[in-house]
Amino acid sequence: MDPAHYLPLLLGAAWLVPLVSFVIIWVGYSLPQMAGKRASYRTSKLGAYVATGSIVLSVVLSFFAMFGVWLPSNPLVDATHHGEVLEEQHAEDGHAAAQASSPFKMVAAESESHAAGEHANNPPPKYYSGEWYNLCTFGKLKLSIGYYIDALTVGMFCMVSLIASCVHFYAMGYMHDELHDFTDPEVTLSNGEQLKRPGRYHRFFQYLSLFSFSMLGVVIAGNMAMVFVFWELVGICSYFLIGFYIERHSASTAANKAFIVNRVGDFGMLIGMMALWSSLGTFTFGDATDEHGNEVKGVFSQLRTEQNDYQLAPADSMVEEQTRIAPHSVGESASADGPAEYNTAGQWLLLIAGVGIFCGCVGKSAQFPLHVWLPDAMEGPTPVSALVHSATMVAAGVYLVGRFYPVFSPEVLLVIAYIGCITLFIAATIAITAVDIKRVLAYSTVSQLGYMMLALGLGGWVAGMFHLITHAFFKSLLFLCSGSVIHAVHSNDMTDMGGLRKKMPITAYTMLAGCLAIIGAGIPLSTIGFSGYYSKDAIIEQAFSFGSANPKHIILQWAPVVGAAITAFYMFRLWYMTFAGKPRDQHRYDHAHESPRVMTGPLVLLAVFAIGVGWTLPGTNLNVTNLLEQARPVGTLETTHGTLLPDLVVPNEHESHLDKFRVPAGIAAFGTAASGLLLATIIYLWNLLNPDELKQSFRPLHNWLWNKWWFDELYDYVFVKPTLVLSGWMAKCDLKFIDSILHGAAALCRGGSQVVDKLFDQTMVDGTVNTFARGTWDFGLWLRKIQTGRLRQYVLFIVVGTVLLFVAITFVQGYLTAS
Amino acid sequence: MDSIYWPSFFFFFFGILACVFAVGVLVSRNIVRMAFYLVLSLAATSGLFFLAGAEFVGAMQLMIYVGGTMVLLVFGVMLTSQERFVDMKTWAGDWVKAFLAGGALLFVLIYAAFSVPAWRGIERAEAEALPVAQTATPLGMGLVGARVDKLDPAVEAPRDGMSGYLLPFEIVSVHLLVVLVGAAYLARAKRKITARIE
Amino acid sequence: MFELPLANLLTEPVGVAHYVTVGAIMFVCGVLCMATKRNALGILMGIELVLNGANLNFIAFGSPYLRSDANSLGLDGQLIALFVIVLAAAEAAVALAIALNFYNNYGTIDVDRADQLQG
Repeated sequence: MDPAHYLPLLLGAAWLVPLVSFVIIWVGYSLPQMAGKRASYRTSKLGAYVATGSIVLSVVLSFFAMFGVWLPSNPLVDATHHGEVLEEQHAEDGHAAAQASSPFKMVAAESESHAAGEHANNPPPKYYSGEWYNLCTFGKLKLSIGYYIDALTVGMFCMVSLIASCVHFYAMGYMHDELHDFTDPEVTLSNGEQLKRPGRYHRFFQYLSLFSFSMLGVVIAGNMAMVFVFWELVGICSYFLIGFYIERHSASTAANKAFIVNRVGDFGMLIGMMALWSSLGTFTFGDATDEHGNEVKGVFSQLRTEQNDYQLAPADSMVEEQTRIAPHSVGESASADGPAEYNTAGQWLLLIAGVGIFCGCVGKSAQFPLHVWLPDAMEGPTPVSALVHSATMVAAGVYLVGRFYPVFSPEVLLVIAYIGCITLFIAATIAITAVDIKRVLAYSTVSQLGYMMLALGLGGWVAGMFHLITHAFFKSLLFLCSGSVIHAVHSNDMTDMGGLRKKMPITAYTMLAGCLAIIGAGIPLSTIGFSGYYSKDAIIEQAFSFGSANPKHIILQWAPVVGAAITAFYMFRLWYMTFAGKPRDQHRYDHAHESPRVMTGPLVLLAVFAIGVGWTLPGTNLNVTNLLEQARPVGTLETTHGTLLPDLVVPNEHESHLDKFRVPAGIAAFGTAASGLLLATIIYLWNLLNPDELKQSFRPLHNWLWNKWWFDELYDYVFVKPTLVLSGWMAKCDLKFIDSILHGAAALCRGGSQVVDKLFDQTMVDGTVNTFARGTWDFGLWLRKIQTGRLRQYVLFIVVGTVLLFVAITFVQGYLTAS
Repeated sequence: MDSIYWPSFFFFFFGILACVFAVGVLVSRNIVRMAFYLVLSLAATSGLFFLAGAEFVGAMQLMIYVGGTMVLLVFGVMLTSQERFVDMKTWAGDWVKAFLAGGALLFVLIYAAFSVPAWRGIERAEAEALPVAQTATPLGMGLVGARVDKLDPAVEAPRDGMSGYLLPFEIVSVHLLVVLVGAAYLARAKRKITARIE
Repeated sequence: MFELPLANLLTEPVGVAHYVTVGAIMFVCGVLCMATKRNALGILMGIELVLNGANLNFIAFGSPYLRSDANSLGLDGQLIALFVIVLAAAEAAVALAIALNFYNNYGTIDVDRADQLQG
């Protein structure tokens, strides 16, 4: 079969089928509803069947595209021994073209003749691009619906559609309350009654279909404009679904928050797209041929040209554009003494474009500082949370970073890495204290997304995308399990749970599998483990490799290791609090029951994937890593150096599998995960340490984490309150402006003198003196607190001081030796 | 596969013993058991001293520490051991704080230990060729001021590295005397103070 | 499958690093004892452990069998270790005397009760 013909057909069909289901439900239910009629609840179920059937059809088509078309035409190469492949490839330099075994043979059709072994850098992966329909053309600007299909696209299609169909099946059971008139227990009307409204079963599935369609659209999109359209569609669908219980105040605010926070990121993304388009003149990713038979270069091949050995260099048009915008920022190529590799011409524009695109991903993937929306997004029904947190919304951001990878310069990657690092740490610490079962999972999602971004930023493309796929499986599993628990005990609060293992064994043990997968449980230094073990170890290996090349950024090496310990702690805290020990609320415990088959079925299926998605299919070399290696973006298989920051080194990903990084990384990952697990076991299973006492002694820290680092309050004060005050003020101005001019002028004079009195005499003169006095007094009082007179505390101070001294000396020494 | 190098084997034997009993001292809540574990840990350490070629110090360790100091400690334990002090509970928060700080310290120390390549040890053949030196005599001579271990013609200035420990030795002797007198004074029986100092 | 350097652990001589590791573990155990025990005698035992861990380092740095360069402390290490042992004995005597005195005066040996120096 010709993949160039069949792949767009199959994936296009898989993409459009959910849209068809959306339209059917719309015509069948929403149109009559608009005309004032309501479909009966009996037919509501039909809508669910249509939606589920359509997404199952998508799964079938995607898997056929993967196993029937892609894999037969692009056999996988075992990429586990990169070092050997590298050497082997150097050896057979000349006659590499004859061998189809090297990964560097995965070249685009037009560069097939190109001998792969000539350079260390990798050529573009094998891809098929083209367009289905041209929407319009304005001069240079062309908007079209196109496709760009490589191994990553096919893999994402399988993952997204599979998880989406599990969620569909699960939701058929979970949403059964909506099949009759629904009394919302959380909404009290002004007359004191609970809100009663018609069920919205069909509408839920309608949104789910649209959601799947939009996500698949982002994945298959062949140009930036199309990505942006579907990107926004994903955003609006998440708005609908998070706000599904729109009558609840918390749900509607959460939906608004998600949408508005995403807009902030999308603004950056627009800037990035404009920067790219205005300088490169095209939106398309891949190369194509226009109607005149001329070759039109896509974004990737313009930035990483074959002549330049696929290294990232700003295109000529980009240099021109930067010169036009900021004439003084001309690169150092103009000055004779600057060496060629430090040519910064066009680099700033590249930086703006990269950071801009990444801003969009920050919003969608809930990275710091825009992470605040995701934990609130759990106001939606649990199946939606599962979908949003694993396969669709947040995955879109990480996927986009992976897709745009050839555009990112090392400086942009550094930004990505730091954002990921901060996110993973902040979110993990917040998850420690949360007691809402879904909130713990939500923060763990944010933290895991931080891991992915960190990996991508450190140059570990395969590691990051691999973690995206494994994480999608175990996080959807964890969310669906938590949904099953909530369904059983009708509470989100873990302090109401406990001992549920006996009541709902399937949920408990599938969730245990998910927990083990997320902490990366496996036998260290072996190839046996849960799926998270492979991807998380790959990330930590890359972090070690990056850390050894960049001693200045050593924090990026240790953050994921520390994060692994915290992850293990809070995940098992969750599991122990929910399923182990004694029931904390006997009433809820007595009424708990295992969920129906339609819900546990997807759990078991997802558990199987969560355990085994990292494995190699026995007897073949089919595994996700090898598949992703086929899609490795052009020119990323080389150790690259920064241009604006010349001492920044992004190491080649294959080097991270060398033993000198693999062994310490494996031991560190296992050791930290095991210690986190042990601590959780000591506190929550064996009850050796009392958590309430811990809470007491870490009161300030606990408050800090409990209030989520005060981010919501900070944003409230910095953005929301000033906006409200400003707008209120403006409104008053509008209303009273004309009347108050005269009064105002008089009052101004009087007020002015009062202000001078207040501001200067009372505040400045008196205030200065008082402030000094008070400051001294307070400082003295504060110093007094340190002198507790407790012997044991003094010992701890000494220890902490020693360690801090050591750390400080290490850092100073690192900087001195680095510079 | 080479045969087992017995000094290494015994190092791990005594080292693990010393560490395990040190951890025992830490986690045990009963003061009498703690004292017992401490004796065992100190005794195992003396084994490590012997293995490092410090047989005199090892012997002193056994006699002074394990013999003398521990008798003193056990004496104190017995004097103060009433039911309510034998088993005193520590707050969970204190445990966690201490373990966080201690874990960081342990990491720093071990990281430092293994970051010096010269500290990783010597080749086996080289180690087996090294002579066994007796250290009691040089130590005694060092304490009275003559460094017989440094009678090395390679040292050019005659006094370089030759200074003994006569003065410190004298100071320590006087110090010990002062300490004994002071301890006796501090611990002497006093009249009962009825009003508690608050 | 396993590529840890465990195979030659028993067939090759150990080095200073191994001694320092054992010393570090004893040291940290001692520090943690001091930080967690409320019994004054427990704190004394912690101090003994700390001193002992330090002693182990002195012996290791002075040993001719443990390191591959010529920077060994030589006999000085053992001499210092001897002084440490003697001073530890003196320290134990004084500290015990203080503890007994405290016990006589307050009727307890809980160090958390001894916070009169609080600022």
